[in-house]
Amino acid sequence: MTSPLIRAQQAAAEPDEALATLFQTQYAGMLRLAVLLGADDAEDIVAEAFYQLYRRWKKLRGADAAVPYLRSVVCNLTRMRLRHLQVVRKHSTPETAQPPGISAEAEALLHDDQRALVAALKELPARQREALVLRHWLGLREAEIAEAMGISAGAVKSHTSRGMAALTRVLEERR
Amino acid sequence: MTRSTEERLRETLDALAAGIEAAPPAYKKARAEWRRRERRRRLVLAVLIAIVFALADLIGLWALNQTRDHDPIIFDDRSRIHQTDPATGVIPP
Repeated sequence: MTSPLIRAQQAAAEPDEALATLFQTQYAGMLRLAVLLGADDAEDIVAEAFYQLYRRWKKLRGADAAVPYLRSVVCNLTRMRLRHLQVVRKHSTPETAQPPGISAEAEALLHDDQRALVAALKELPARQREALVLRHWLGLREAEIAEAMGISAGAVKSHTSRGMAALTRVLEERR
Repeated sequence: MTRSTEERLRETLDALAAGIEAAPPAYKKARAEWRRRERRRRLVLAVLIAIVFALADLIGLWALNQTRDHDPIIFDDRSRIHQTDPATGVIPP
């Protein structure tokens, strides 16, 4: 029979273990997601997302809800960061303004067509870009994308089709 | 055409993601940072609440101090105190 003290210690250790496992398994994926969504400070965004998860761990529906919650926080923080950068760029000189997002090293390994696609992806509105990355990189269903983006499934469909149409147009113009 | 764009987009995103170095930092260090931030957040919240309470107290005391002496602020029973009971014949308990 376990004493109440040991049980309390076990109860306190379980969420910590679950959080540690999540941190080890999900950190890289969340960092890549933030970069693909266009964040220039992906590490800060992912660190903030894990802190938010740590704060709200007890309020989650269950351990299964942790990854969708993290994804949602990363999407929201990246969108906020992009909006902030847009405002900064509007008020800065053209020489100092640099487009955020994927590093030159990561892009160097891509073909010309892929670089054009990445450039077109950067030009898309944040919502369309999010919907495309969540759909085609993570392979999420519409309902999951809607949950991550905090919008309806219909809006997800609309953003995905508009984004895809814009990318198709860019690729056709290149031919 | 759209199908082809989807495939190319998927390939491009996979290639980009593969090029991103993403080693997680030490968990213990990250957790220590979360705890420090949480302590700080709670402390700031407690200080803010204390400031709001103190301000409310001060404003209340100032308002009380502004009134004239013997001037009832909330209930004004002076008229009833000085009024004579009506002669209804009903005796109060």
